[in-house]
Amino acid sequence: MAELTAFAPAIAVLPFVSFLVALFAGKYLPKKGAIAGSLATGGSLVLSLLMLYTVATGHAYQATLYTWVGGDVVPFELTFGILLDQLSTLMLVIVSTIALLVHVFSMGYMNDEGETGLPRYYAELGLFTASMLAFVFSDNLLMAFMFFELVGLCSYLLIGFWFREAGPPSAAKKAFLVTRFGDYFFLIGVVAVFATFGTAAFGGPGVEESFPALAEQALNGEATVTTFFGLDPAAWFTVIGLLVLGGVMGKSAQFPFHTWLPDAMEGPTPVSALIHAATMVAAGVYLVARMYGFYALSPTALAVIAFVGGFTALFAATMGVVKREIKQVLAYSTISQYGYIMLALGGGGYVAGVFHLTTHAVFKALLFLGAGSVIIAMHHNEDMWDMGGLKEKMPVTYYAFLSGSLALAGIVPFSGFWSKDEVLYETLVHGLGGSPLLLAAYAMGLLAVFFTGFYTFRMVLLTFHGEPRTDTARDPHGVRWNVKVPLVVLGVLAAVIGVINLVPIHALVSAVPELLHDWLYHGPEGLNGEHYHELVTSAEFAGYSAGTIPGLGEVGTLFASAGVSLAVALAGSGLAIALYRGPDPVAHTDKLGSLKTVLFNNYYQDEYQVWLAEGLTVPVAKAADGFDVRVVDGAVNFVSSLSLFTGDRLRRIQTGIVSNYAALLTLGLTILLVAFGALQGWFL
Amino acid sequence: MAVPVEYYLVLSAFVFCVGLFGILTRRNALLFLMSVELMLNAANINFVAFSYYHGNLTGQVFSLFTMALAAAEVAVGIGIILVLYRNFADVDVTKATTLRW
Repeated sequence: MAELTAFAPAIAVLPFVSFLVALFAGKYLPKKGAIAGSLATGGSLVLSLLMLYTVATGHAYQATLYTWVGGDVVPFELTFGILLDQLSTLMLVIVSTIALLVHVFSMGYMNDEGETGLPRYYAELGLFTASMLAFVFSDNLLMAFMFFELVGLCSYLLIGFWFREAGPPSAAKKAFLVTRFGDYFFLIGVVAVFATFGTAAFGGPGVEESFPALAEQALNGEATVTTFFGLDPAAWFTVIGLLVLGGVMGKSAQFPFHTWLPDAMEGPTPVSALIHAATMVAAGVYLVARMYGFYALSPTALAVIAFVGGFTALFAATMGVVKREIKQVLAYSTISQYGYIMLALGGGGYVAGVFHLTTHAVFKALLFLGAGSVIIAMHHNEDMWDMGGLKEKMPVTYYAFLSGSLALAGIVPFSGFWSKDEVLYETLVHGLGGSPLLLAAYAMGLLAVFFTGFYTFRMVLLTFHGEPRTDTARDPHGVRWNVKVPLVVLGVLAAVIGVINLVPIHALVSAVPELLHDWLYHGPEGLNGEHYHELVTSAEFAGYSAGTIPGLGEVGTLFASAGVSLAVALAGSGLAIALYRGPDPVAHTDKLGSLKTVLFNNYYQDEYQVWLAEGLTVPVAKAADGFDVRVVDGAVNFVSSLSLFTGDRLRRIQTGIVSNYAALLTLGLTILLVAFGALQGWFL
Repeated sequence: MAVPVEYYLVLSAFVFCVGLFGILTRRNALLFLMSVELMLNAANINFVAFSYYHGNLTGQVFSLFTMALAAAEVAVGIGIILVLYRNFADVDVTKATTLRW
């Protein structure tokens, strides 16, 4: 089976071929490239599943494909390589599954709606899928960075797909610039990793030197590394971790870099589902999981991750409560859910983070595609107050959407319950083990569960229940199989994918396996959950320890945590149902008073960032420009005008009269002779 | 009674200065040529004087070369003066000032 891994590069090459096909031949194809894209992503899915199976049979794989800088003259090698382990194959399957379903859905959303520019759309989608898959199987940080940037570029292109309207180009620019700001720190982090360790490899079978392992050895005193600014290794590793975290926060839309994601909803809805919910936004947190062996060494970096995550989860959830557009609610919900994943990773719950990443990818893609179906039906009107009563008209969408909503709200037994519960449980026990900061992050995460339940069911009730509030809602546009099939597949998955890690049930009946836990714990040496757990709990590294609620014991704490989060989720959902049920719901946001204005304006985050750009960056840039124009250019211009002036004066000795030249010659010779003589002492 | 070598040197310096004075002050190109001849011959006097003083013939042979060179130079110089006359209708060197800034 191990030979199959030789086909691993094809996972990314197939969608790249579909990109080329759609780009150059798309306009001659019957579906403008959709079929090529679907076939390619389908092929990627099959290959990813094969890789998953290969890894499951114990053949984790790492290979260097191409060395583009290396040899004896430079102290390090820059390579492209493939790392297939438990984490990356799982992510490959998730990405290729969602990409396939989104390609199918796009035929309903884009082709059937008669959009123009479809070859461009499918080309960009193919390029995105290829770069995302290559990012996932990268075996070193530099390659990861390069594909990280490529997915960012594709995101920019796809947000701005309808570039003839006013909103999308501006949103695309904003997304590009905000994520680039974070990536700037990431780039410095990559350079710092190379300068410190001489390698940026993540590790894997057969890799002798990887930077997480070197960092661990350096902290144990078994290896020496180059640190800078006079910092000791532990402090310097924290600095590197936080630099890379800049890119993560930009891509995963964490506070304060979250402002681009709601605007990114200007793009086509299938793009929102693929890029701005399930895959690209996950690239950030995936990177943290990928180099978790490095982050686990630094308690400060972990604490920052956890706190940023917890805060973002709560902060974004409160903004989602008041939005009118269905996609805006989902955008804030995405930011909030990635906050949970960050919270889990920072709180020492590696498995919990990956678990929530998996379930969220499924149910959020489902919700976006469901919203896309609703938007088709509503003739591209996204305002939920214009909908209502769609339940009878589009039952398939309704039940799929409901499944995703229950998962998002965290209602047992849908997938989101199991993963969100595990996130909160891991944070809680590590917080109880002596980390008040984690307890604070846990409290914010728990509070966010309430808001999540509330905005989710507000959205469901306003969209599907009650009486239709407009003519469009009374007579919606139908959707075809290519919309319904992805919804059904994802709807079923969102309900049942929680079985991959039934932690509470495992605690009661040990015969029920924790599949994901076992899966991630059996990774290659240095890249598995068990190793990470040792690092996180070891006193000389992160120093987390698991505590319990006094008097309840381990299992008791587990069920108390699950019970509390379920109760809070039910409370939030119940409040939403109580407020918005009935045939003709009324808006309650006015009761919030001035808070409503603050929430509608997203806590003035955009305003202060615009102020930062216009009030701070522009004057600084102007001052720098003035310095450039006056001082730098002035010096250069002075030198040139001096040359011109002296040249103009000096050329006047070229009179053209031979006698003058002869006189000058004689004079020159005489001066030379006199000078020579004076130096030699002839006249003494 | 042989004439001391210093007398030849003074004569040579005098002839050279006459030639130099001619180049610096004259405007006629033909007189230019003549002045140059004077300077060359001042050098020849030096050659011959030192040759006699040291008692070997190298200097005399050199002065023969210089005469050949002077003849060639005059040929070129006359050619230039002819072209000068054709272009400027004059042999005044201060008139031909087009080759300048």
